[in-house]
Amino acid sequence: MRRYFLLVASFSLLLGLLITAWQESRHPKPIALTPTLTGQVEYCLTCHADLAEISSSHPVNTFGCVLCHGGELLALDANLAHSTMRGGKNPSDFSVVLASCGGTNCHSGTAENSRNHIQRVTTSIQATYAGAIANIRYTFGVQPDLKAVLGEFAIRVPESTSGITELAAFNPTQETNPFVQAFGHNCLTCHLSALPLTGSEYIRYTGCSACHTPTQSPDRTDTEKLQSNQIHKLTTAIIYTQCDTCHNRGNYNLRTMTFEPRQDLPIDRLHDYYQPIAQFTSCEWMLDCVDCHTRTEAMGDGNLYSVKKDIQYLQCKTCHGTLTDLPQTRTLTDPNDLAFRLVLLNPVIDLNLGDTLLITEKDEPLWNIRVLPDGTYELFGKADGQRYVFRPVKGSACLQDPDRQDSGSCHECHSVER
Amino acid sequence: MRPSFFHHLHPPTIPAKQARFRYTLAAGGLAVFLMLVLLVTGILEMFYYIPTPAEAGNSIQTLTFLVPYGGLVRNLHYWSAQFLIIVSIVHLLRVILTGAYAPPRQLNYLLGMGLLVLAILLDFTGYVLRWDEGIRWALVTGTNLVKSIPLIGNALYTMLVGGTQPGPATLIRFYGWHIFGMTLAAGILVAWHSFRVRRDGGIAVPPPPLREDQTRITRFELLRREILAMLLASTALLLLSVFAPAPLAAPITASAPASEMARAPWFFLWVQQMLKLGNPFLWGVVVPLAVLVLFSLIPYIFPKPVKPELGRWFPKSNRIAQALALLILLSIITLTLLALLPAS
Repeated sequence: MRRYFLLVASFSLLLGLLITAWQESRHPKPIALTPTLTGQVEYCLTCHADLAEISSSHPVNTFGCVLCHGGELLALDANLAHSTMRGGKNPSDFSVVLASCGGTNCHSGTAENSRNHIQRVTTSIQATYAGAIANIRYTFGVQPDLKAVLGEFAIRVPESTSGITELAAFNPTQETNPFVQAFGHNCLTCHLSALPLTGSEYIRYTGCSACHTPTQSPDRTDTEKLQSNQIHKLTTAIIYTQCDTCHNRGNYNLRTMTFEPRQDLPIDRLHDYYQPIAQFTSCEWMLDCVDCHTRTEAMGDGNLYSVKKDIQYLQCKTCHGTLTDLPQTRTLTDPNDLAFRLVLLNPVIDLNLGDTLLITEKDEPLWNIRVLPDGTYELFGKADGQRYVFRPVKGSACLQDPDRQDSGSCHECHSVER
Repeated sequence: MRPSFFHHLHPPTIPAKQARFRYTLAAGGLAVFLMLVLLVTGILEMFYYIPTPAEAGNSIQTLTFLVPYGGLVRNLHYWSAQFLIIVSIVHLLRVILTGAYAPPRQLNYLLGMGLLVLAILLDFTGYVLRWDEGIRWALVTGTNLVKSIPLIGNALYTMLVGGTQPGPATLIRFYGWHIFGMTLAAGILVAWHSFRVRRDGGIAVPPPPLREDQTRITRFELLRREILAMLLASTALLLLSVFAPAPLAAPITASAPASEMARAPWFFLWVQQMLKLGNPFLWGVVVPLAVLVLFSLIPYIFPKPVKPELGRWFPKSNRIAQALALLILLSIITLTLLALLPAS
């Protein structure tokens, strides 16, 4: 009997050993990667080998995963490996963006203001939402004028030249006016730190990825991919549908102080879009938003502003000129011109030294618009690469008043029939 | 059959009744076995472990995830350590509830208490060696308790921690204590404890004329039973190691805020629960030490078990000691369960 016990116990140990060996054999074979920028081996690819490269500017062999995402570089247990990731799936959220995307070799802290994207974007009104907050508080008599004093988060910019050097954090619960409180609770879904509304048409990340990670496709068919919320891509080729996750998605109802989202899912861009504007020109519906609007307009110039108009400066004449003047241009003579850097990120146009580009009134290169020898201009869509040719106003029969450049004035003649 | 080396480690025969599992619970033997497993797996871990704050966590992750069977070695070490505390307590209870500490075994009882304390300290120092976010709270709280001791607290803290707050000096000190100081002391005490078992006449039994059952088993049978226990224990350790890996969290970094769900290791949860009552010196130092002293004094201050009653459970002669031990154990279990309840 006792011999039998010993035999059973021996078999149970043997079984235990076999189970141990079997479990060990089931572990995935570790895949090591030593990114050149960190020099530290990391094993994220053991599980994430099928993930597409995030962008040509951030090759995985150079950056690896941990430099941007954080996480435990040696752990092969998902919970442990992910426990120290920055910002969950999105390291570009503003709460962690400096640690993830910042650094003088990256996107913050450089002497060159145009490369300090993190500092600039956190001052932009898309991030602070200061204009909307000031407007509502002014409307309901809480503040004496439209000058922004509160933002989504507190920020100080002593060097700001706009007259606003700091914003305190807007806290709806500290507001006394019930409408301002309601605005704070119901309407702040579109700034860059806000989580989007529910619904596939709103899906976007926060922070840099709100715009630079394409979560929306124009055909709106890829909903499964959208809902999985796992798009590993950074791009400067930003399709208009990405902008539409916030813009053109509905209206504020000032009576109830709620945001009323559109009920329809716009598919036909010509007929469904641009509410509440009734008129628009062909470039307003054929091009992508980023084809005209510059990075300074979208991401700020480092100053704090109260309203969109203070930073959004592009007008029809920026590209088309006036009856007396052609649009401003710059001939590329410096191989380090910003235009070359930007085209490197999104090579839709083959720029060369000697090419003449359109530039804005603030000297920003419209690097996707080149002057042609016959005096016309070619524009390459930043998102789709499509080529368009257009003419200047000068020498045409245009009835333009150079001082009236708001879209309403140009729409009088150039609106598209819907 | 000629007795082998292993047979010679045992007495030629022992009383059959007191050699049964239902009497010994196999606790003492299992404790020795677990210590051997801990020694072997601990030595293997030392090939990979790097005792610096910057490298400790990563070196454990390397061992756990990248070294073939490294995770198994670590898990075996972990589970053996947890079980060592459990079987040590079971062994202590068995000795009290059978009155086996009766003279001449008082000294060996104290040696056993020393081994239990060492097992707990080894477990705590080993836990701290993880140097990850999971141990941070216990390390800070535990070392701060030392500071709360009047007069000598600060000096003791400096000796233990090696500075004004836990850092590289703390880790290397805990490492030194774990792999050398305490392990050496435990080795010596195990040898002494085992020697005293033989010297005190083996397992506690009544004098021969008073024994109901005079049958004895041989050292061959005893060794066979020990092998059986070891096989079963090994199987349990293996299965636990495979399916319930030892805990591991992200390494401690200066920037990370301390976790809100901070818990002491399970064997100190009762102390953590008492600390909620206030005064850290009283509840964190005095009361646990008082429990230890009380247990150590059991052979000296309470009515002694009488010889005819030895060798069986719950002798009448030392009921007070039995009741006290069970009461304290019940209190500790209750406090532990309270500490495990989610904070309301």
